[in-house]
Amino acid sequence: MRKRNAIAGLLVPALMALGSPAFANEGERVQVTGEIMDTWCYFSGVMGGPDAVVGSAHHTCALWCSAGGIPVGLLAEDGTVYMILKIEEDDASAGGDTQLTLASHEVTADGMLYQRDGLNYLVVEEVVSDLDITNLNAEDLGTIPPFAIPKGER
Amino acid sequence: MRQLGLILGLMAAPALATAQGLPGLVGGDYTLTNHNGEAHTQADPDGKPQLLFFGYANCLQICSSVLPQMADVADDVAALTGQDIRPVMITVDPQIDTVETLGPALTAYHDDFIGLTGTDAELQVAYDAFSVEKEFLFEDPEYGPVYAHGSFIYLLDGQGKTLTLIPPVLSDEEIVAIISNYIG
Repeated sequence: MRKRNAIAGLLVPALMALGSPAFANEGERVQVTGEIMDTWCYFSGVMGGPDAVVGSAHHTCALWCSAGGIPVGLLAEDGTVYMILKIEEDDASAGGDTQLTLASHEVTADGMLYQRDGLNYLVVEEVVSDLDITNLNAEDLGTIPPFAIPKGER
Repeated sequence: MRQLGLILGLMAAPALATAQGLPGLVGGDYTLTNHNGEAHTQADPDGKPQLLFFGYANCLQICSSVLPQMADVADDVAALTGQDIRPVMITVDPQIDTVETLGPALTAYHDDFIGLTGTDAELQVAYDAFSVEKEFLFEDPEYGPVYAHGSFIYLLDGQGKTLTLIPPVLSDEEIVAIISNYIG
């Protein structure tokens, strides 16, 4: 889990709040549409490129990572990643029932955006819409990584 | 270094930023017991800035990545800024992470690592201060209870004041860049 590759560096701008102040104390109300995603596999690149670690192909691994403590993110349509601190009444940033239920789903989230250290943090006050998993890339890519599903269950 | 340059270029935070404004980033006072059996508060005994993480020493998930990363980052920050920084872990499993077991597990990562445990009530004060949720998931027959728990790393100053939080998905270079804006 400690190894990373060069992909991580290429993805960093997606996480950073480009052009924003280094940190802002005041939150800003925003509405963002995108996929609830696995930030570890997305930024580390250990499981493949950014298109491989989203959607139905990566759903099982996203569940494992969230349950294992990896904070979930919201990958917006413009490629920006928001680190989620809380979703509605679920205080967990990872592993909570809400975070697991929404893993890989396309949602529209209404909440407060905080920019700090060049990063985007989102407190989701309301999931306005939940379209379930809309990126059905497992049809082309299969399960990534394959070992996310125990051998006897594949 | 190219990556680090990118990050530093994006950030121009004042040297002494505070954590105000971001929900769940309040921090606060706690008194726990360190792996030497001594009382230990949010203030570092040597006044060093601290990297604080909530986890457990035999966690095979996020902790197995974050704990060695905290150790590496502490070394990198010292090399870059000349400022020693203390890695600290507060356990979410005081039944297994005891005074006797915490030290060997954490100092294997870094000599300065401090492990903290306590009674359920004492630990809950620290969890509440940092809005850390923990949830029992299942019993692993080999390693014991497995918990879901908060996984952000908190940067505290030497007195225990929270300076910022750090997602555990960043590279060492990115974390060092953030820390360097607050200390050194």
